[in-house]
Amino acid sequence: MPATAKQPALSLTFVCLALLLLLPWQCATTDFGPERGEVRYDPSAPAAPLLSSYGFFSNLNGEWTPNDALIPYALVSPLFTDYAEKSRYVYIPEGEQAKYHDEEVFDFPTGTALIKTFWYPSEDGSERWIETRLLLKRAAGWEALPYIWREDGSDAELKVAGGRSKVSLQRMGQSSLDIDYVIPNKNQCKGCHSFDGRLESIGPKTRNLNRDLEYRSGRRNQLDYWLEAGLLDRLPPPESRAALADYLNEQEPLHDRAMAYLEINCGHCHRPEGPANTSGLYLSTLEERPAQLGICKSPVAAGKGSGGFKYDIVPGVPDSSILLYRMLHDDPGVRMPELGRSVVHAEGVQLISDWIAAMEGSCAQP
Amino acid sequence: MKISRLFLKLPCAGLCALALLFHSCAGGVAEDQIISAADFTEDILLERLINAEEGELITLGEGEFRFTRSISLDAVSGVTLAGAGADKTILSFSGQSDGAEGLMVTADNFSVQDLAIIDAAGDAIKIKDGSNVKIQRVRVAWSGGPKASNGAYGLYPVGCDGVLVEDSEVSDASDAGIYVGQSKNIVVRNNRVHQNVAGIEIENSFDAEVYGNVCTDNTGGILVFDLPELPVKNGRGVKVYNNEVRDNNFPNFAPEGNMVGIVPAGTGMLVMSTRGVEVYDNQIEGHYTFSVAVASYLINNKPYDDPGYDPYPDDIVIRNNNIVQPQAQPDLSRELGVLLNTLFAEGTYPEILVDGIEPPDRKLNLCIKNNGEVSIATLDAGNNYAGLHLDPSPYACNSETASP
Repeated sequence: MPATAKQPALSLTFVCLALLLLLPWQCATTDFGPERGEVRYDPSAPAAPLLSSYGFFSNLNGEWTPNDALIPYALVSPLFTDYAEKSRYVYIPEGEQAKYHDEEVFDFPTGTALIKTFWYPSEDGSERWIETRLLLKRAAGWEALPYIWREDGSDAELKVAGGRSKVSLQRMGQSSLDIDYVIPNKNQCKGCHSFDGRLESIGPKTRNLNRDLEYRSGRRNQLDYWLEAGLLDRLPPPESRAALADYLNEQEPLHDRAMAYLEINCGHCHRPEGPANTSGLYLSTLEERPAQLGICKSPVAAGKGSGGFKYDIVPGVPDSSILLYRMLHDDPGVRMPELGRSVVHAEGVQLISDWIAAMEGSCAQP
Repeated sequence: MKISRLFLKLPCAGLCALALLFHSCAGGVAEDQIISAADFTEDILLERLINAEEGELITLGEGEFRFTRSISLDAVSGVTLAGAGADKTILSFSGQSDGAEGLMVTADNFSVQDLAIIDAAGDAIKIKDGSNVKIQRVRVAWSGGPKASNGAYGLYPVGCDGVLVEDSEVSDASDAGIYVGQSKNIVVRNNRVHQNVAGIEIENSFDAEVYGNVCTDNTGGILVFDLPELPVKNGRGVKVYNNEVRDNNFPNFAPEGNMVGIVPAGTGMLVMSTRGVEVYDNQIEGHYTFSVAVASYLINNKPYDDPGYDPYPDDIVIRNNNIVQPQAQPDLSRELGVLLNTLFAEGTYPEILVDGIEPPDRKLNLCIKNNGEVSIATLDAGNNYAGLHLDPSPYACNSETASP
């Protein structure tokens, strides 16, 4: 039956549906544009009980698909979280921009959302989504919210107390390992995301975004893309932009890889503005004082975390270095990082071990 | 003055009476708001703490509350976490597999009182960067007794301004029972600490009063330390008085590498690299290695790289303590004990030690007097003990206080 004037409501619905169906196709050709999707995130509204309420993801034929207004991003060197895969998106309200910074994370406008989903591949090749962590920029600052996906994938629920999830970890060449994946609670989020006592994002800074990413429109440097997409207020020329090493890339210098690894896995706490500042151990690529990097540094409040060793790093002797000891252990009172890791990161351990082994000097007494 | 106080008190008393009339419980908290141990799951307390509002009182009833994860409070000021008593409300972390502390607090005006924290995976209570924080009538222990695998600190305020730790009991900590670090304006009083490596430790801190405590059977009773390479250092102003420090001869069980690992069993008090320290009117009794020592960080022969750090103890007063030291063998498992054993004949171990390491550019102001019939040894550790002597005269003084 042709649409007639008698059924205006129905025909309007039909047109809307058709438009909605067309939308993904249109977007395949443009990465951003006037049809930016229906994000329903109001930075002044309280946290929603269900992730779907924000409209960051749409359920298309049973699959949760990021809204077109979300820009995917990746880090040069990411934090290790029990071998979880992570998908990261940034949402910045239309017409707003983040302020560029050389060294620290960008200053994002109110209304920004950083959306990070942690998932593991299932045996059938599908993605098993465990949790989606939101960092929402309110007028008063960032708020961190953990959403845990239901077993049936129908939605993710806000759980400020976090939780646990049994995960069967498939590692290449190894038998599967059952782990008790821990979803941090809201306060633990800040245990890492803390800068001078306030909540701050960690990843999106120049040196850790400075890499290429495959966009639907082709491969681009992320910073260039952000500028062109209007997400950034300015950007210095490529030669003036810092870049972190990719710690998994063995073609890059060992020292740079090790420092990149320590910075992203430890440096958010172990910096003068971070939660572990009272340790005096600062693991940032910007730190240059050997003692503050742990070289021949006595621990302060390590307790059993010292493993019976005297110094954080003993040049040339990884097996006597507390830093490595704490990466190798999973007792919650020993392990480092304190949160987000229950299994040993074999590749990270190898890297830091190689780095310490290659160091010259000794902790001779003065 | 008196009149105005009375004026203020009268309406207040009236209000309180009214409040009591309308609420059935005398404690001021309605029964249905008390978190009960029956049907308790850790998320109940986690969520209360995460969603806490400013000034909120969170009350736990009697019984055992079991946790597999750290509990924490962040940024909300004025929260009180209260139990029904240190022997009645037990927070057990024996099943903890996540988080490095039992309770972790980063908030101002926080109080925790009348409960016990047992078997934390790491430190039992850590409070970081808080102003005016209080720990009262809290008990901390590890049920397996003193072990290297226990958490480092029992009660651990760090980076705080305004700290009160009182009427609490800590045992079995593998570093210090009560440890206040990188803080200022500190009172630690009337606590009982036993079978820890260090009973009480004040480190890299300013303006602390430590009094009325009973420190027994630890490796070392009370330590006042200052360490290099930390953001807050060169601490000053620690008064230690009216404490009972007795029989701290427990074998050191700290994992090596920790500063406190150097402390020999049989240590009464050790003041290291801190300025403005007064130790007076204490009962210091029954220590096998020494009763009181004043030392520089340099005696450890540990390398450090910190030009801004002052390793010398200065403006120290040790007076009017009642010191009773048995003539026993010092702890030969630690360098300092071995050293004493080498330097002194059996039966002549001194009660008070000064390492004698002097800065090149100034004379240290050390005052030691009226401690009864004790010998004071200056080790001259900076010159390979060449100038070792037992002459107390360098420490004679008129001053009663540690002001320079």
